[in-house]
Amino acid sequence: MMSARAVGLGPALRQVALKPRFGQAPALRTLVSKRAIQTQSLPPSASQEILNAQRLKRPSSPHFTIYQPQLTWLSSIANRMTGAALSVLLYGYAIAYLAAPTIFDSTHVIEFVAGLPDAVKIAGKTILAAPFAFHSLNGLRHLSWDMGKFLSLKGAYQAGYAVLGATAVSTVALVLM
Amino acid sequence: MSASLIARSAVNQRIASTFARSSLRPLAFTARSVSDAAYVPGGPIYKGTVNDPTTFPPPSKTHGSYHWAFERLLSAGLVPLTAAAFVTSGSSHALLDGLLGMSLVMHSHIGFDSVLVDYLHPRKFPILGRALTWALRATTVTVLVGVYQFNTNDIGLIELIAKVWHA
Amino acid sequence: MQSVLARSSALRQNALKTSVRSFASSSARAQAVPSEKPVLNKQFKIYRWNPDEPGDKPTLQTYNVDLNQCGPMILDALIKIKNEMDPTLTFRRSCREGICGSCAMNINGQNTLACLCRIDRDSGKDTKIYPLPHMYIVKDLVPDLTLFYKQYKSIEPYLQNDNPPADREHLQSPEDRRKLDGMYECILCACCSTSCPSYWWNQDEYLGPATLMAAYRWMADSRDTYKAQRKEKLQNEMSLYRCHTIFNCARTCPKGLNPAAAIAKIKLELAAE
Repeated sequence: MMSARAVGLGPALRQVALKPRFGQAPALRTLVSKRAIQTQSLPPSASQEILNAQRLKRPSSPHFTIYQPQLTWLSSIANRMTGAALSVLLYGYAIAYLAAPTIFDSTHVIEFVAGLPDAVKIAGKTILAAPFAFHSLNGLRHLSWDMGKFLSLKGAYQAGYAVLGATAVSTVALVLM
Repeated sequence: MSASLIARSAVNQRIASTFARSSLRPLAFTARSVSDAAYVPGGPIYKGTVNDPTTFPPPSKTHGSYHWAFERLLSAGLVPLTAAAFVTSGSSHALLDGLLGMSLVMHSHIGFDSVLVDYLHPRKFPILGRALTWALRATTVTVLVGVYQFNTNDIGLIELIAKVWHA
Repeated sequence: MQSVLARSSALRQNALKTSVRSFASSSARAQAVPSEKPVLNKQFKIYRWNPDEPGDKPTLQTYNVDLNQCGPMILDALIKIKNEMDPTLTFRRSCREGICGSCAMNINGQNTLACLCRIDRDSGKDTKIYPLPHMYIVKDLVPDLTLFYKQYKSIEPYLQNDNPPADREHLQSPEDRRKLDGMYECILCACCSTSCPSYWWNQDEYLGPATLMAAYRWMADSRDTYKAQRKEKLQNEMSLYRCHTIFNCARTCPKGLNPAAAIAKIKLELAAE
C-alpha cells in the first residue's frame, strides 16, 4: 500500500476494485487516462534545490563517542591537553606577575608553596610532573616521526608504549627530585 | 544577513549568465550558483556540482612548510634548552632564562593557535574565531612582556621552578 | 495427436524409471546426515536513520542473528538481516572481497570493510555497527561521500607529463616503481579519512589521509613532471597541515596501508624545498 501511495496509484486501484469484473478491460483504459497523479513541472535546475533540501536534513554520524579508544588518537589528544594545561599555567603566571608583581613575585610564591602540607605538595608535583613528562616525551615521538622515524604502525605503537612507560618512570623521578 | 545572501546570489546569477552566454553548458553553471549561495563551511551542501573538484586556498609557504618547519625547529630547540635548564637548575643564567622563556611562549602560542584553527576556525565561527585569534595574539604579547619582566626583575623562570619544586 | 501423447507418456515413464534407479543406487550408500548445529544467537545493534522521517533522531536497532545459519563476515550478517528480517536496512556493498571499498563502516568502534571483518563469535557481546564517523548520512549505513570524491579529484589523480616519449610508453625502473607500493593499492573506501579527528573537525578544507596519500602517490611517481605544482597546492594552512600525525588512518586501513607515513613524507619534502 505504501508503494502504491508513493507512486500515486491509490485512487486508481480503488477504482479498479469497485468496477465489476467484466468491465475490467475498459476500466484499465480509463485508469491510464484518469490517473489522479498530481504532477508539478520543474526545470532541470530545480534538482539541485531538491537535493540541497534533502542534504540539509541529513544527520551527522557519531564520531569520537563511538570510536574505539586506541593509543593513536588518545595519545594525540592527551598530548594536546597536557601541552595546553602547562601553557595555561605559564600564561596565567606571566600575566599574574605582570598585573601584580608584588603579590606574585618569587619569594611570595615560594613561601606559599613551602607553607602547604606535604600531601598537597606531592599531589601538586605529580599533577605537574606527569603532563610535563608526557608532553616532552611524546614531543620527542612526534619529532622522530617528522624526521621519518617510527613511521610504521608497529613503530608508532612501540614508540607510544615506550613514551607511556618513560612517562611513568620520569614522573616518579621528578616528584622525588 | 538575508540581504547579503540575496546580493550574493544576484552576483552569482550575473556571473552565471555571463558564463552562460559563452558556455556550451549553461545548466551546469546555474546549478553551481544555486548551491554556492547555500554553501556553509562544513555544512552538507557543497560548492559547485558533484563533478567539480574542491578548490585550494591560495598557496603561501608562510602558512605552509615554513610554519611547519619553524614549529619543528622550535620544538627540537626546546630539547637542549630543557636539558640545560635541568643541569643549571638553582643558579640563575639570564641568557638561558630568556631563551627558554621566549621559546616556551612561542611554542605555547603555536599550540594554542593550532587548537583555534582546528576547532574554532574563523571560516566556521566568523566572530568568535576571529576574536579568539586576536585575543590569543594580544595575550601572547602580554605574556612575553610578563616573562621578560620576571626574568629581569625577579629570579628567572628556571630558578623559580627549581625553588618551588624544592620548597 | 494420439501418437504424440503416447510418445510423451512413454518418455515420462522412462524418466521415472531412470530416476527411480538413480535413487535406489544412491540410497545403497550410507548417507551423511548433516549434523544439526545449535542455535548461536548474537545481537547486532545497527545505526538507523530514515530520510523519509527526517524529524526522527537516528537510533540503534537490535537484530538477533543465528551465527550458525550465517556466513563468517559482518557483511554476511548484514545481508542476512536485509534478506530475512528487515528489507529496509540500507548499506552499500558490492564485491564482498575487499576490493571495491563499498561496505566501509564503523564496526565495534573501528572503521573497516564489513566484508573483511569477521564476526566475533562470542554471543555474549553485541556488535555495534555505525556508518563512517562524522559524515552526513543519506540513510542508515550510507554516508554522503560527495566531498571525499571532490577532494580526490582536486589533487588531479592521474599522470601528468608534458614530454611523453615519442615512440613508446613511459618507462620506469623497478626501484622507482617500488616507491609506489603501499600507495597505489588504495581503494578509496574512506575508512582512513573518516577515522581522522582532524578530518572530522575540518573536512571541508583538510584533504584527509586518503586524498593526501593519493597526492603523494603522484608526487612519488618518477614519470610525473608536475611535482612542483602538486606540492604548491598543499602549501597552505588547511589542505595538508591539519595532519597532526595521529595515526588513526594507518591503524584503521583495511588494506594495511599507511597514509600517515605518506603524509609525513610530503611534509618532509615540502620542508626541504
